[in-house]
Amino acid sequence: MKRFKHMPQFLTWLTGITAAIATVGFAVSTPANAKIGSCTEPIVFGTTISESGPFSTLTSNWRKMTEIFAEEINKEGGIKLASCGGKSVPLKFAIYDDQSVPATAVQLYERMASVDQVDFFVGPDWSSLGGPVPPIAERHGIPIVMGNVATPSLYQRGYKWVWGTPAPAVPRWSERYFDMLTHVQPKPQTIFFLTHDNPVMKAITAFWSRKAAAQGLKVVGEETFSADLKDFTALIAKVRGAKPDIVYLSSFDNPSVPLVQQLRQLKVHAMDVHHTMLTGALAKQVGNDLEGMTGELTWFPSVKGPYADLFDRVMQRTGITMFDSIWTLARLDSYIVMIQAIEKAGSVDREKVQKALYKGTFKSPAGDIVFDEHGFPDTGAFTIQMQNGKVQVIWPPDVATAKPMWPSPTWQ
Amino acid sequence: MNRAVFAVVATIVVAGLAVLPLLGAPYWTTFVFSILIAYVLAQSWDWVAGEMGYINLGHYVFYGIGAYAFAIALSSALMPSVPLAMVIAVLVVAIVAAVLALPLFRLRGDYFAFGTLALLPLAEVLTNNNTWLTGGADGIVLPVAHVLQAAFWLALILAVASFAVTLVINRAPFGFALRSIRNDEEVAEVIGLPLLPTKIKALVLSSLFAGMAGAIQAWQMSYIDAVTVFGLNVALVPIAMALLGGSGLRWGPFIGVVLLAGIQQWLLVNITMLQATVYGAIILLIGRYMPGGILRAGILRGLPWLAPLTREHGAFVADTAIDQVVSSSAVMSAEMPLDRIAPRGTETPLLVCRDVAKAFGGNRALAGVSFNVAQGEIVGLVGQNGSGKTTLFNCISKVHSLSGGEIRFSGRDLSGLRRDQMAGLGVGRTYQIPRPFGDLTVAENVALSLMFGPQREIPARALTEARSFLAYAELDHRRDVRADALSLQEKKLLEFARALATRPKLLLVDEIASGLTPVEVRRFVDRIRAVRDDYGITVIWVEHIASALNAAADRIIVLEQGQLIADGPPAVVFRDQRVLASYLGAAEVVE
Amino acid sequence: MSIDVVLQVLVGGILVGGLYALVAFGLSLIYGVVRILNFAHGTILAVTGVAASLIFARWQLSPVLIFILLVPSVFLLGAVFYRGLLHPLERRSPLEATIGTVLVTVGALLILSDVTAVLAGPTQRNIMLRSPVIEVGNIVISVTQLAILAAIVVMTLVIHAILKATWFGLAVRAVTQEPIAAELCGARSLQVKTLTFGVGSATVAIAAVLYVLTFPVDPYMGFGLTVKAFTIIVVGGIGNLPGALIVGVLLGVAEGLVGLFWGPEWSPAISVILLLLILVAFPAGIRWRRG
Repeated sequence: MKRFKHMPQFLTWLTGITAAIATVGFAVSTPANAKIGSCTEPIVFGTTISESGPFSTLTSNWRKMTEIFAEEINKEGGIKLASCGGKSVPLKFAIYDDQSVPATAVQLYERMASVDQVDFFVGPDWSSLGGPVPPIAERHGIPIVMGNVATPSLYQRGYKWVWGTPAPAVPRWSERYFDMLTHVQPKPQTIFFLTHDNPVMKAITAFWSRKAAAQGLKVVGEETFSADLKDFTALIAKVRGAKPDIVYLSSFDNPSVPLVQQLRQLKVHAMDVHHTMLTGALAKQVGNDLEGMTGELTWFPSVKGPYADLFDRVMQRTGITMFDSIWTLARLDSYIVMIQAIEKAGSVDREKVQKALYKGTFKSPAGDIVFDEHGFPDTGAFTIQMQNGKVQVIWPPDVATAKPMWPSPTWQ
Repeated sequence: MNRAVFAVVATIVVAGLAVLPLLGAPYWTTFVFSILIAYVLAQSWDWVAGEMGYINLGHYVFYGIGAYAFAIALSSALMPSVPLAMVIAVLVVAIVAAVLALPLFRLRGDYFAFGTLALLPLAEVLTNNNTWLTGGADGIVLPVAHVLQAAFWLALILAVASFAVTLVINRAPFGFALRSIRNDEEVAEVIGLPLLPTKIKALVLSSLFAGMAGAIQAWQMSYIDAVTVFGLNVALVPIAMALLGGSGLRWGPFIGVVLLAGIQQWLLVNITMLQATVYGAIILLIGRYMPGGILRAGILRGLPWLAPLTREHGAFVADTAIDQVVSSSAVMSAEMPLDRIAPRGTETPLLVCRDVAKAFGGNRALAGVSFNVAQGEIVGLVGQNGSGKTTLFNCISKVHSLSGGEIRFSGRDLSGLRRDQMAGLGVGRTYQIPRPFGDLTVAENVALSLMFGPQREIPARALTEARSFLAYAELDHRRDVRADALSLQEKKLLEFARALATRPKLLLVDEIASGLTPVEVRRFVDRIRAVRDDYGITVIWVEHIASALNAAADRIIVLEQGQLIADGPPAVVFRDQRVLASYLGAAEVVE
Repeated sequence: MSIDVVLQVLVGGILVGGLYALVAFGLSLIYGVVRILNFAHGTILAVTGVAASLIFARWQLSPVLIFILLVPSVFLLGAVFYRGLLHPLERRSPLEATIGTVLVTVGALLILSDVTAVLAGPTQRNIMLRSPVIEVGNIVISVTQLAILAAIVVMTLVIHAILKATWFGLAVRAVTQEPIAAELCGARSLQVKTLTFGVGSATVAIAAVLYVLTFPVDPYMGFGLTVKAFTIIVVGGIGNLPGALIVGVLLGVAEGLVGLFWGPEWSPAISVILLLLILVAFPAGIRWRRG
């Protein structure tokens, strides 16, 4: 039988895999964690990263970054524990790929809780995972500080063990930008919101369109678009018809690439076009089209807050920049907040760490992170503008690296 | 004995799984939970795909609808109760499936596959945009409830139920109905299966299980959004699992799910990059080298200790059937279990055709044909190839609808009737080119007619009775052979037996004797006469062998280019000049 | 709403629709001749698009050169993929062949996306060409867009000419319409099928380079395009390229108009609703009379 010619190798291979599963996969792996109270073994943070699947476009190199972060922490001794007489204990990560699939993430967190027996959870991102994962932490009584989970309703479920460091938080997202708008001359009168169909972005528009109206800006249009949309002509035609002073793009960076390009191509005029995620990924794809646009940046290395050098070093060694990978700050914040909480508690006792986190205030390069009673932070962002191909912080004036160019000359 | 062993093993396995959540191993509990959910999805998908032959790529939509209906019901202000929400989810899914079935089952093959696949992005857009109902892209946040144990047990019950339903389906007439649809749905309908209701039932049943799986999953996760339940990256996984194991096999979906889920989990835990590539490569290689699924691979079939897993459904059914056949009837006679009715000529004809016309595009296959057939007559229908004989049969059995004129059977106007109702009225037929249900056994082929017929016989009884019809057609010795393994002549005999088993009043026989030896033809003539003489069945027989018709028929009707050119006793018709010119000249050519 | 707004939307719709049509051409050829539904079809666009943008970013090659570099490679890969992995399945029973091709093409889809994401990074990319714009009244068209439109028209004509005037085209049409008769008449089916698979894949590669000039691509984006392309060939008729072009453009325009008059969040639903409506009205696809 000719068609079975290749069978034997294939079967051997298949049997090999099956055997491997049987032996490795189903055997209970050895736990990698520290015994509570031990002062020699490392403290293990368990986390998943969306390394494959739809969200992986946002997490480039995070595994490497996370490993380097642990290295850098350990270089300086590790995590200080009062219960060990001020001795430091090294940090270690257990990292898995959640494939951007909630069910997979749930399995992996259960695995880290019961098989790997990690000490603490840090970092899952996105609402899809921020919904199903925290109940696992609750059930096991393991403190979790999530990364980019920015939907406030996900925190209001009566959790005791759950925090998050999304940056910026929706109610503070464009705070500084709208503050700036009250100071610039000529004063803008109208604003048009274009919103990417995503929970966080929709929440931003909902919150900031109310604020805009409250401070006397007339909202002349609100439109939503899906992430798959490539041809924005119709949307832009509406913007052109409304002639707004400000075009406010509430969108992730990637879905808005064709939008920004087409805004330029179709010669939209405005005092300013503002993007809630003015990132390097966007800049790489649209290049000069970004010139003169304003946006938010959660942090940039010239803001020398606490841990700024650490973050800067980690990101440099990994080869990523804040501007390229805007989600990175929230990720690293979740790590650093957990470390501070442990040091504050002075031990790896989960109960004590939980108490330390509750309504706590933590240091981060971008300023203090203050948790409310739901575990939601109050992180803000800086207003930036692309000037001559460079990112300049233009508001608030005390940390600004350049003056705002107003009205933005590229949109005239 | 084997079944007892199986029952014991199954009970132990299920009981073992049932205590798993109590062992304090939440990782294994969630892992097995996900396997159970995937098994329910894969197995319920396979009822429609493996059994009925419709590749429903949008199966996951029902999972998603179940999840959403459950979540919406549970988070609504009206008395949030989990059982109530489950019931609502089940109802919503059933209604949606029944409504969707109507347009979807207009499609066949690849078109059905793609039409159903398109449901996924549609559902995602609808969910994202109807924020008032679904929360839009925010998803639905349910109250946190630690229900892993309860959800696990529910999933276990559902998985066991899926397997049980699979077993039941395989023995029930419903399962035979599905398999006949998979083989040839037109023939299934002609022998009396109401097609659309069966398909709707199958889709509703399959989506109910998917919907319940979705509801349980939503309950356990306490949060859902559109990407999670309608995303293409997750939706095709259970299907891949079923195909991988072996679609249509009793153990196929189960093995596929366990294997693929195990591989995936292993990759996740042990490999830090390119897991999707390895995963994809496994799917690809299995597709390339074992397209029927792992359990159909020749090499596995050869392993004796794997044999129980690799058997086709048919093999299981044959077991039961044979048990009962042996116990219930010892001797097979060449008598059919039909009422013996003396042929009688009545005033009102059994079949009336008036101005029957049928056109295909501009081609008029039948152009106003009128004739009557009395009860108990044997009518020979002759004419050149393309003269409209088979078209006429198709019109009488409602395979085609008429372009003009009318046909009455037993005084009843046939317009507006479906094919399966024709079988119920008592019209049976054979096909000129035999169309057996290829992957069923010969006995099953005949038994189907009995199951779908007016008496709705249970499979065991139908399989027993089928032997009488097979014996009558002299095919009983081949009863356990797959029908597609028969020779052409045997297939024709099978057509004959299957048509008789519909218990017809009128039997339409289409070129069943062509290719037989003269001796065999004579035997067949006797058989046709006996059918009429012993059981009072009226026969219209299309045949090119004039001598056979001369011997068998009471009357000959001749068609030429869609028109009736002669109608009378053989002795008269076969001497008609026009008939000789048109038909007998051609008959020489026909072998 | 003024007329030039609608016209502007039409221009955008025609551009997108033309690209959809190019993707559909390949699927149409392959489905017509080989009767295989290639689930990885759109993913070829994603992968080629990523490759094109990488080449551009590294060496700043002109899109025409990228074309010349990538299209033959994709042709070869397509042909090899068919010969090595799909053709052997034809010897199986029809059911096994169908299931086998589904598994093989879905597996290929996963591998292509994942390998690309690992090699090139999962991020979105495109090719940035600064091009002047032409303004006609209130309507704006960039030179790049015009060039892409021109390329789409030229490609359609070229493919159409190949199908009308060459031996390969004749064989393709013959096999599409009468597989058995074509075989009897000497159109060697394996050769024709392999060539078709290569040409069908190469068409997507062409579409990919044009696509990445206007829109961003990422390794995971392909499947949505496959669904759109299938919609187009079902509506336009299998093997009917002019039909596919018309339907593709109509689809693009419809998406734009829905975005204008209803809301952009509904645009992605159009192709799906159209597909379902057409299929329900014409369960076996539309067969247009060949003129």
